[in-house]
Amino acid sequence: MKPRIVAVLNQKGGVGKTTTCVNLAHALAKLGKPVTVIDLDPQHHLAVALGEVAVDRSGIDAVMLGERSLQEQMLSVRPCLSLVVAGPRLQAIEQLSEGGSHRGDLLRRGLAACPWLDQAVVLIDCPPSSGILVANALFAVDELLVPMTSDFMALQGLSHLMGTLKKFEQVLAKNYRTTLVMSRYISNRRLSEDVLTTIKKYFPNQVLRTLIRETALLAECPSFGKTIFEYRPGCRSAQDFASLAVDFIEGRVM
Amino acid sequence: MAENDDASLIGYDPLAWLQHAEAARPAASWPLPGTEAEASSQDANQEWVEQTDTSEQADDDGWVNDDATAHAWAADDPAPAPTSQQSLSISLATVQNMQAVAQLYQRLLSALNETDHIDIDASAVNQIDTSTLQLLLVFKRTAIKQNKRVSIDFPSERFIEAASLLGLSQLLAVDHAAAGFF
Repeated sequence: MKPRIVAVLNQKGGVGKTTTCVNLAHALAKLGKPVTVIDLDPQHHLAVALGEVAVDRSGIDAVMLGERSLQEQMLSVRPCLSLVVAGPRLQAIEQLSEGGSHRGDLLRRGLAACPWLDQAVVLIDCPPSSGILVANALFAVDELLVPMTSDFMALQGLSHLMGTLKKFEQVLAKNYRTTLVMSRYISNRRLSEDVLTTIKKYFPNQVLRTLIRETALLAECPSFGKTIFEYRPGCRSAQDFASLAVDFIEGRVM
Repeated sequence: MAENDDASLIGYDPLAWLQHAEAARPAASWPLPGTEAEASSQDANQEWVEQTDTSEQADDDGWVNDDATAHAWAADDPAPAPTSQQSLSISLATVQNMQAVAQLYQRLLSALNETDHIDIDASAVNQIDTSTLQLLLVFKRTAIKQNKRVSIDFPSERFIEAASLLGLSQLLAVDHAAAGFF
């Protein structure tokens, strides 16, 4: 059975893409769902956050260049959780200037060739940019998870992102199943509430129910190569992500 | 500019366009063969041909002089009306050749008068000739001179090849496959 392949996407930086990807993936894995995370960001942050610091190891770059299969590149990093690192040539792919429109189809072909076996979910951590790599993700998936912070600039970025998505939907003749997750949420700030209200107005039934609250612990754990469940199990952020995983599986939205 | 109510801490609402996006999409405006619209379009075509015949001043490299061709665009619209800041999208047909170029000219001219931001969807193009590419180039340059924005989105491989062959890829900003996606 084909897994849910989801691009974790927002071209704005600092909205919590990698944090969401790492901790949601681990939360799903802890629920017994086999998960693969793909690091599509040449900065390797996803791999580092999971404790893989060997930046010269080939990963999704070799898959996109047709040299390796995705299965060959999967590393088992936790029970039920596999990682495909970015690889040193991912930045070069981002800057490809030859190859016509095929440049946008490299990831989709790599994913299509994978048998997936028992994988339930594949999360693709996209870079904070609007280039070839993000285009590849958008060609490859039907489902998007958009982390959003509760500030005005994130709303502005979301507007730009939606413009991009509408262009892709028009050209590729498909409608993405898009859900949003409120990340780095500051509960005692009125602006956060107003941003959330605005987002719910434009994306009814598309915002996952659990708010991921801003905490220092979430910022600390990547440097130890640990997820929040390993760094401070049972803390508020771990509870948030455990709840978010259930939202993700059951489609619980606000 | 869409603004929220006074109680909100969000002044300008950057997502407001989502509510109007569908309404802003232009209706299909290619006249059907044999219709009155097509007849009037053909009359206009003749006018365009005459204008370009009299105003073309080729440079040494064979390209039409910018000022002369820009004048041809401007001559069709001596008193431009105030234009909208919302984008307007025009889709190129599968075959864009000499037979279709005058019709395209009319659509581009109309768009130029209506809005400040024009998106040209080139994803369907299977065949394109130099007359169309030249029209697009002049259109883009004219728009820039009027402080308007033109983007050629989702160029098909055929479009990219043709533009590249004529050395127009960068001028038309279609030198990469993801053009228009971002």
